[in-house]
Amino acid sequence: MEHPRQADTVRGWLDRRYHINSLIEFLRHKEVPLGSHSMAWYFLGGATLFFFLIQVLTGALLLMYYQPGEATAYESIRFLTTKVPFGWLMRSMHSWSAHLMIVSLVLHMFSTMMLKAYRPPRELTWVTGYVLFALTLGFGFSGYLLPWNKLSYFATAVGTNLVKSVPLIGGWSLQVLRGGSDVTINTLYRFFAIHVVILPLSFVLLVSLHLLFVQRQGMAAPLGAKAAPRGMKFFPGFALRDVLLWLACLMVLLVLSVFLPYGPGIPGLDWELGQKADPFAPAYPGIKPEWYFLWEYQLLKEFPPRLFGMEGPQVCLLLITFLLCLWAIIPWLDRRAYRDQPSPGFSDFGWGAILFLTFLTLKAWDIGASGPPEAPGSVRGIAWTCAWWTLAAGAVIVAVRWLVYGDHWFFLSGAALLHIALHGLAGISYLVAGIFALVAAAIAMAAFYYSRRDPRSGTGGVA
Amino acid sequence: MKRPWLVIALLLPLSAAAPGAETKAAQVALPALLEAKGKDGRPIITPEQRAYFNSLNDRLRELLSGAVKNQVITRPEHLATILALELRPQKMELLLQDNCVLCHTDSEAQSPDQLFSLAPAAGGPAGHMSLKDLVADTHFRRGLSCAGCHGGDATAEMGHAFVKEWPASGRGTNRAWVAYFCARCHSDSAFMNRFNPALPTDQLEKFKTSPHGKLLLEAKDARAPDCISCHAVHGILPAKDPQSKVYARRVPETCGACHADPKRMAGFKLPDGSPLPTNQLEEYRASVHGAALLQRGDLGSPACNDCHGNHAALPPGISDVSRSCSLCHSANAGLFDGSKHRQAFERHNWPECGQCHGKHAIAKPQDAMLGTGPGSWCADCHRQFAKDNPECNATADFFLQSVTRMSDGLNRFGKVSEELAAKGLDVEPIDGQLKELFDSLKKSRTYIHSFSRNTFERVAAPGGETMRKLGALVTQARAEYRTRQLGLVGSIGLIGLVMLSLYLKLRQLER
Repeated sequence: MEHPRQADTVRGWLDRRYHINSLIEFLRHKEVPLGSHSMAWYFLGGATLFFFLIQVLTGALLLMYYQPGEATAYESIRFLTTKVPFGWLMRSMHSWSAHLMIVSLVLHMFSTMMLKAYRPPRELTWVTGYVLFALTLGFGFSGYLLPWNKLSYFATAVGTNLVKSVPLIGGWSLQVLRGGSDVTINTLYRFFAIHVVILPLSFVLLVSLHLLFVQRQGMAAPLGAKAAPRGMKFFPGFALRDVLLWLACLMVLLVLSVFLPYGPGIPGLDWELGQKADPFAPAYPGIKPEWYFLWEYQLLKEFPPRLFGMEGPQVCLLLITFLLCLWAIIPWLDRRAYRDQPSPGFSDFGWGAILFLTFLTLKAWDIGASGPPEAPGSVRGIAWTCAWWTLAAGAVIVAVRWLVYGDHWFFLSGAALLHIALHGLAGISYLVAGIFALVAAAIAMAAFYYSRRDPRSGTGGVA
Repeated sequence: MKRPWLVIALLLPLSAAAPGAETKAAQVALPALLEAKGKDGRPIITPEQRAYFNSLNDRLRELLSGAVKNQVITRPEHLATILALELRPQKMELLLQDNCVLCHTDSEAQSPDQLFSLAPAAGGPAGHMSLKDLVADTHFRRGLSCAGCHGGDATAEMGHAFVKEWPASGRGTNRAWVAYFCARCHSDSAFMNRFNPALPTDQLEKFKTSPHGKLLLEAKDARAPDCISCHAVHGILPAKDPQSKVYARRVPETCGACHADPKRMAGFKLPDGSPLPTNQLEEYRASVHGAALLQRGDLGSPACNDCHGNHAALPPGISDVSRSCSLCHSANAGLFDGSKHRQAFERHNWPECGQCHGKHAIAKPQDAMLGTGPGSWCADCHRQFAKDNPECNATADFFLQSVTRMSDGLNRFGKVSEELAAKGLDVEPIDGQLKELFDSLKKSRTYIHSFSRNTFERVAAPGGETMRKLGALVTQARAEYRTRQLGLVGSIGLIGLVMLSLYLKLRQLER
């Protein structure tokens, strides 16, 4: 029902046509639940959305000058960054916000994982977020080739070559992805189409769905909170804080874009234009993918050429697929969170995953190399140094979880640390060390559950 | 009968083509050799050799069967040697029709010094009997095999009575005959045109005029080189083949085999009576030319023969040095020819280019060679021969100051360009000017050879103008960077103000 005072206002005019008062009432009463954990975790989704909007805005400006083509792609980016006023800033902001978007997305995903915000009824919010993460990685991969420079050309050649290892349809998929057997200008055309049409449309559709779910169901209350937890009004309290964070993100983005216009210059985080792509030039030495793909790159390197009668990369891809599928269906696997009870095993799984990814990423960065990374001495030194760094980080995480949060469930993060120690410090091969660590974790868990078994019912139980 | 081998050669294919029992026997024998096992029970023919045999076409299998049937190949080890070569079909066809090679690859039938083997000991009595070298030889590829030099008929059953083209005795002591022997074909234009019309046929005539040729052909000195000293014996390859001993990158090593050997060179003297040095190879390797050719593989860089000649190898005379150098450094040579220094050098009988740059140990020229300071080469001569003309030293100093200024500018602005590029600024105009400055410097360094201040100044002047433009561009780029920083500070201030307002509003709302 329209308020009498609104009859002649714009709001009244709109409400008569679109019934916006009900929406305003919904937003007015919307609350964000407060709990024992920090509220900061609730803002990561908004930060990710902010970086996406920056991507859309700067991407649209870049698109006004970018011309995909053999003789124009590189040249147009060069023109844009050297001659167009603020063109350099647009490209720099586009690149920086892409990386920052992935950083905030990863933090958002892990915070959701640790706080068990995926528990019913929010399973599909988790799944849509998961697909959004995959699409964001797709944005990164497809956008990387567009400047058509030497580094992007060879990185794409190496990256797309992985598709070949997919069983049965690998060869065909590679042809479809590249638009031929090699990376050519046809690959650029389809990557351009994917980057500026297919992915944005999919992303906007999915992010709308994701936000709709969040609005309809509200933000997840802290685990164990009763039906009506304390809350903060979304408007204006939460929304103003969100805007404050967005403005802080914009400040960081501007500072980074002005002072480091080509990134910090470390492998996988560097977008200097360099030389134009030349398919006939020798391959770029020491080529590495973007930092968020480094763990996969390193895992592939840890596999032998052949394993279990299959090609090593094929087995590795199967393992990666299995792990990613496992990650996607966590809401259905975590039965304790389903009952609104703490599930330390899944939290520990998250911490184990962080240690697993950290070690592989550090290794891919060749941290600790004393000479050429491929030299036997360097390979050993890299594994040793990266293991120490990861073990130190792991020790801090375990100590904080134990002493501050009172966690007692460390089987999976312990397995990850054992894996890293066996490989990095004892020099055992990565795969053998991994199998050993998993077996050790399985025995330890079996012993733990057996010792806590209820002798009357014969069933295990753990808090 | 004058030519009994011709009859045998004609009969052989006929007999090979005869149907029936003979073909059947050959087919049995070859598989037996292929399946034969050694004392250790392992097959003598390796899987790789077997795979190669399986890839042979019918024609080659037929020839191989014929060789086995005719008992030219009788043992599996002998067959293994032939298959191990893994020759292309055309070459294998030539080999299987050459009874000389087939017999001389059988280790049981030949003495070690007459046996072609896959890996003969280098420097041993059979060091020149490498089967791999022989089948790679340019003559062999064109169907000219043993019989071409040694005489006889490669398709006939071998009898050494056929050998009549070869000196009967004294082949090793007096090798003057080698040059004439090779020249039988290589001086015959009509004959050579059948194989390679582009190949010169005057090698012997040139060789006769060279010190090498005179020493070998007239003085009969056994230390003098003959054709095979440089071109090898059984593994002669075209000069364009990187494996050839006369390929540009291998020429210094080939010449050095004699010229860097003090024992071999003992007793040889230069025209001035001093002993012939043996450090040329060492000096050349350290030189700018040696580094370019031997380390970077730049075939445009000269090897020994590019200055001294090939078959008519001669040490260039004093007046010829500049001609050798001018073949590549034509601009420098042209300027020098028009300079006052040319007459001065001629008066003193100095070898033009070599006087300042040296001979084999030519180093990359340094700007410090100019001027009148310590270590300057100009000052060395001017002190003695131009002490009454102060303009000479002033010109030398002017050259040094000009090129040093440009060189320093190039380094300084190059670093500034990198620094500005890392900050994301447009350095294309700066890099363009740097290229111009580089060209000016290069041209100025060349025009030093005019030894004329006026001529040099005309070329060096644009360099100064380019440096001025560079300075302005750098100032402009730095100003733009400051603008960016100011813009950033302004933006951050504005955003900060908005944030502060929002924060205060939030506090007000939640109070």
